[in-house]
Amino acid sequence: MNGAQHILQAFHHHNIETVFGYPGGCIMPLYDALVDDVSVEHVLCRHEQGCALAADGYARASGKLGVCIATSGPGATNLITGVANAYQDSIPMLVITGQVPSALIGTDAFQETDVLGMTLGIVKHSYLAESADELPGILEEAIELAQSGRPGPVWIDIPKDVLLAETSAAPAYAPAQPKATRPELTCAIAMLRDARKPLLYSGGGISLAHAEDSFREFAKCSELPAVVTLKGIGNAGKHSAHNLGMLGMHGSRAANRAVDECDLLLVIGARMDDRATGKLDGFAPNAKTIHIDADASEFNKLRNADIAIRGDLNTILKELTQAIRDTPLAINDWRKQCQTWRTTGGFQAADNEEPLAPITGPAFISQLSRTAPDDTIIACDVGQHQMWVAQHYQFDRPRHHLTSGGLGTMGFGLPAAIGAQFANRNSTVINVTGDGSFMMNAQELATIRRYNLPVKLIIMDNQCLGMVRQQQELFYNNRESHINLDDNPDFVAMARAFDIPALKIDRTDQVRRGIETILAYNGPMLLHVAIAREENVWPIVKPGGSNKEMIDETRRTAADKKEKIA
Amino acid sequence: MTTESNCETPSYDITCRMSHEAAALERLCQVVRVRGFRIAQMVVDSADGTLNIALTIQGKRPVAMLQSQLEKLHTVAEVKLAAPVVAAASRIA
Repeated sequence: MNGAQHILQAFHHHNIETVFGYPGGCIMPLYDALVDDVSVEHVLCRHEQGCALAADGYARASGKLGVCIATSGPGATNLITGVANAYQDSIPMLVITGQVPSALIGTDAFQETDVLGMTLGIVKHSYLAESADELPGILEEAIELAQSGRPGPVWIDIPKDVLLAETSAAPAYAPAQPKATRPELTCAIAMLRDARKPLLYSGGGISLAHAEDSFREFAKCSELPAVVTLKGIGNAGKHSAHNLGMLGMHGSRAANRAVDECDLLLVIGARMDDRATGKLDGFAPNAKTIHIDADASEFNKLRNADIAIRGDLNTILKELTQAIRDTPLAINDWRKQCQTWRTTGGFQAADNEEPLAPITGPAFISQLSRTAPDDTIIACDVGQHQMWVAQHYQFDRPRHHLTSGGLGTMGFGLPAAIGAQFANRNSTVINVTGDGSFMMNAQELATIRRYNLPVKLIIMDNQCLGMVRQQQELFYNNRESHINLDDNPDFVAMARAFDIPALKIDRTDQVRRGIETILAYNGPMLLHVAIAREENVWPIVKPGGSNKEMIDETRRTAADKKEKIA
Repeated sequence: MTTESNCETPSYDITCRMSHEAAALERLCQVVRVRGFRIAQMVVDSADGTLNIALTIQGKRPVAMLQSQLEKLHTVAEVKLAAPVVAAASRIA
């Protein structure tokens, strides 16, 4: 068995059934082995970035390992953005690239790049396989490592001669044993009981740890008022009575107010990213912090924790639930206060009653949320539409909301939707995108067509880079700089060129029917939604500002009027 | 290019033991740089597939943050931090 065949054997051993890749010179031995192995489904994307992002979407939607494959040189460098995206959001991913033959490494050979060197900062770990004998062990270790603890991408770069060399070596890798339970948990429970205004703050770590059910049980038992990060949306479920929604730059007033007033933050599976905290000095100024995470390096990184607990979130959440199950927390006044804020400062379903009025982003997303089936997976891109989805779509599960949180990768949504559809063949999968983001990976329409994936595509087209335009308007004296996209192609014609049916809407009275039409269609379909160029995402916190200083449309309009009068 | 470090910049001595895999030292140095520290001195010994590295680093950020990031590297077996000292003005080429 040669090195390439060992890779496929490792796939079988770990139940890896779907991989995303693009062939080329140095990875050809693996593609040759794939000819004889029909049990691994190889999805041919149209760009290596599409492969990596599709593998990312597959992993996010399924909770399984995402796998992408490319050749050396440009194949590997094209993967980089997708791998960085997975790294920033801690997505379990195995990356396999071909490398020039061992003897040619360092000679500036055709399609040679120092992939190991250039990717050090975007992987959990990486390997250069120097012999076929070590490859089986590397594969075992890499697959385990990508999924254990805090997940992340692991990259194996394999010279062509190693792929071709015969070996009988067997995998030899003993995974580390999980660490014992922490005594800090008792202190955390005492601190939780002492608090008068405790707040539950959860992030993407909940779903990464497969701890959704444990989290919900704890949230239900504790009845703690709760906020979520962008990646934590869906943690609490859409019917949670205590969820105040997303905090941070585009978070709800209710969530940011609760963070500002709480006296204890119970942070679980979140890393206190700057988009969530705003200016650190003003973040939860009166609160002690309990920080629970799988990764100890997140403790005290941006905010000092009074108690830090590292471990498996599932186990810890179950222990927390057990500890408070029989003695409820005495925080009724605080709960009532948060409920009031939720009523007055939560995200409300947006509607526009004027049938001929232009379509607004929030109203469109609210309608989509009401119309789409419960198991719908939304893969967003990056920009205003991403925030409207986060604010106005009611997600019941975190794995139903695929969003590029850490890296903010425009072009993520379409390939991620492809990956999600492969992971959930019978679910409705919708890529909600903007006109800027869509054009970043539009070549993947060909992948949708090739595999006849029933992915629905919704382009919210404001003919510009809306989030950049919004910040230029608000924070750069309205000096617009290179955000104009009014020469976009005809998206309907473009979709049809890929044999994907499409339709365009631009009035409020067309929204419901447009959504129902694409959802009912038995196959891929694109909905081009024209929205106003000037529309903004509200509220917003100025980058680097405190979450207390939220700007909303009303306040801005008042400020404008005052300025004009002056 | 020659730059002068801030005389108030704390200096730390760190020892690190890690497996001698491809790009091991690059990985270590990259983490030190990205997490806000500069390497002032570095001594490396290699034996039996293991690298023993003694580093003197300078930086204003909490060194515990760097330590936890280094400990997180898969190939790092141990990171030890000596007591911090404030660096005298030094020139780093």
